[in-house]
Parts: sequence; structure tokens; C-alpha cells
Amino acid sequence: MDELGKVHQLIIPLLGHDMTFNLDVILMTWVVIAVLIVFGFFASRKKSLLPGPLQVLGELFVSQLYDLTEDAMDKERAEKYGPMICALFMFLLLSNWIGMFPHLHEPTKDLNTPLSLGIMGFVIAHYAGIKTKGFKKYAKEYCEPVFFMMPLNVIGELAKIVSISFRLFGNIMGGSIIILVVSYLTYSVIFPPFLNAFFGLFVGAIQAFVFTMLTVVYISVQVK
Amino acid sequence: MDFDIQTWVSVAAFMGGGLSMGLGAMGAAIGEGYTAAKANAVMLRNPEMGGDIFKTMLVGQAIAESASIFALVVAIILLFTHFESGSLLTISALLGAGLSMGFSAIGSGVGSGFPSAEACEGIARQPETIRNVTNVMLIGQAVTQTPATLGLLISCILIFKEFPATDSVVSAAALLGSGLCMGLGAIGPGIGEGLASSGGVKWVARNQTYTANITRLMLIGMAVAESTAIYSLVVALLLIFVV
Repeated sequence: MDELGKVHQLIIPLLGHDMTFNLDVILMTWVVIAVLIVFGFFASRKKSLLPGPLQVLGELFVSQLYDLTEDAMDKERAEKYGPMICALFMFLLLSNWIGMFPHLHEPTKDLNTPLSLGIMGFVIAHYAGIKTKGFKKYAKEYCEPVFFMMPLNVIGELAKIVSISFRLFGNIMGGSIIILVVSYLTYSVIFPPFLNAFFGLFVGAIQAFVFTMLTVVYISVQVK
Repeated sequence: MDFDIQTWVSVAAFMGGGLSMGLGAMGAAIGEGYTAAKANAVMLRNPEMGGDIFKTMLVGQAIAESASIFALVVAIILLFTHFESGSLLTISALLGAGLSMGFSAIGSGVGSGFPSAEACEGIARQPETIRNVTNVMLIGQAVTQTPATLGLLISCILIFKEFPATDSVVSAAALLGSGLCMGLGAIGPGIGEGLASSGGVKWVARNQTYTANITRLMLIGMAVAESTAIYSLVVALLLIFVV
């Protein structure tokens, strides 16, 4: 139980401020990125009409997520944002699943990862909105229905970042805490595999999909 | 009965943890039960789709449970963290954190059950709409959880912010009040957003040609229903950082 809440940190003083690096999270993020790059390399190495197993998996990811993006936006925008959505989903899925392996932790368990991905989605959505509608029309939407509602509209937009990132963080963190506590109470007999299957595989996949869907929806709401 | 301040901090942490999980367990259970009841009822309408209805019910319930999982996270943090520097402010902040998360999980838990119930019914009515219905259900449930995540945010701020070691009763009351404000303010929006998204899911299942339009209207409606939770968030933040 002592593992709970312990974080390995590297603190570098810089110009009077302390820069804090959560080493575990950075390492695990790089593990996820490396696995995805290797997967991408092998999936696309021998492309053929009769696909190998890795190519099938890669095509499944790309085509499904591309369709999803196209349903929410139009064809032109789907070509632009589809690759990012696909990459986001694959990164989140592997991030949520990696905690099932011993000695590895989910990078999404640390609030920094979901929060930065949420801010990324927010910035992209608003950039797309300003680009399609022009700044004047974009700014005008904040003053609806009356002008003095603007601060609340802005906070409402910022609350989207909070909700999207805290949802992922809370679920993954909660799952790993439940697995840790129950494993401790039952001396790791019988229960951990089932808990890992539910909170790791099932909830992890759903939350990765929900995060990706919401990013798509936020972009599509801004551009329409 | 002479306690030092450190004992009171532990008392507040344990009470906050109990309040968080105890209150947080209420809503999600009701929502999940509602989904299960609807799934049972519609199983008879279309027994061939039984497997899909079962899967949709499980996915919906798993998401509806998020609010309770947030409450569990806050409860475990409160139970197992050692709070070293203690003052009157820490005590009320820890109590407030439990209240904020516990109450805010009620609304979102109940609300998240409605869209998944409608999704089960929609799949039984028109099996070919399953893909759109599931997508809209996932979006709706996820957005329904926004009030609970705002409660989690306020709880995290109250737990991890360092407060000055004063014994001002007024500041302590402000921290307790911010927890109550966010918690109570999130009950209504959670249920309301659940109603909005259940309407969206219901009508996507009837006419999936207009999925994009319905989704957009649903999201706008939910954003408006959520605005009262945003008011609570603003007041809670004001109580923590300004008062």
C-alpha cells in the first residue's frame, strides 16, 4: 500500500523556479510512443492486397476512426484531422492498457498527460473555429445571448478542458487504485486478473474512445 | 477530551473520505439500476438482439459508474495521505473536499443512467441504428459526467492547495462553503444533462439520418443545462481564492 501516491520526481532549479519532471510518466509515455512507432513501421512495411495480421489491425484503426471523423465533420476536414484523431486514439488506448503489464504504469494515471491532451484538443478546436468562421463571428458567439454573459461563456468553454481531462484521469486513477487496494486485501489471489480485465481492458478502451469522440465533437461544433 | 490540531486534521480527513464515498455511491447505483431495468424490459421486445442489448447495458453502466469511481479516488486520497501541516483551514478544506465530490457524484450518476436506458430501447426497436446510438450514448454520458468532474476539480484543489496557517473561522467557513456549493450545485445539472442526452439517444434511434443535427442540438442543450454547474464552480473558486 505504500506505493499509493508515490511519485518519482526530478526537480531542476531554473531561474528561481523549480522545474519538476515526473520521471515514471515521461518514461512510460516514451514506451508507448516507441511501441506505436514500431507497430506503425511493421504494419506498413509490406503493404499488399492480401494483408498480414498487423496490416489488418492498422487498417482497422485507420478506417474506423477516419469514418468516425467523417461522420462528425465533412470529407475535407476529415482528411485534415483524421490522422490526428487516429493517433490520439491509439496513444490513449495503449496508455490505458499498458498498466496491465507488471512494472509498467499508465501515463494517463498522472493528471499531466490527460490535461495536456485536453488542452491540445481545445486549442485545435478553437483554431479550426477561428479559421472557418473568422475571428469576428467567433468572438461574437461568446457574447450570446447578452453581452455580459461573456465571462461565464468563457469559463464554460474552459470547463470542457477540465471535464475531458479529469474524466480520463479519474477513471484510470480510480481503476489502478481499486486494483492496488483489492490486490493488497486479497494477497493478490484470484481477483487481480478479473479486475485488470474490467478496469484495464474494458474501462480503458471505453475512456480512450470517449476522449477521442469528444475531441472530434468539440472540433465539429466549432467548425459548424 | 483534549485534542491537538493534528488529531482534528485526521478526523476531518476520515470524515471527508466517508462522506465522499458514502454520498458518491448513491447516484450511480440508481442510474445503473434504471438502465438494467430498461434493458430487461426491452429484451422481451426483441430477443434476437439480446447479446447487443446486454453489451450496451454493460458499457452504459460502466460509464455511469465513473462518478462513483471519482468519489472513490477522493476517498482513498483522503484516507491514506498524511497531512503534515495542519490548521483550522486544512480541517475545513478536507471536509469540504469530501462534501464536494460526494454530492456532485449524485447527479451525474443518476443522469448517466438515462441515456444508456434509452440506448437499450433504441437498439431493440431498430437494430440497424446500433452504431450511431452507441456513439451518441457515449458522448451524452461523457458530457453528463461534467458536473462530477468539476466536483473532482474542486476536491483536488481543496486537498492539495497549501493554506496559510491562520485560525480564521471565516476563511474556514469559506472553504467548507465552496465544497458544499460545488457539490450541491452539481446535482441538478447532472440529472438535467442526463435527461437531455436521453432525449438525443431516443430520437437518434428513431431517425438516424439526422444523427449529426440531433447530436449538435443535444450538446448545445446540455451546455445550457450545465451552466448552473458553471455558476457553482465560479462561486466555489471565488470562495477558495478570493474570500
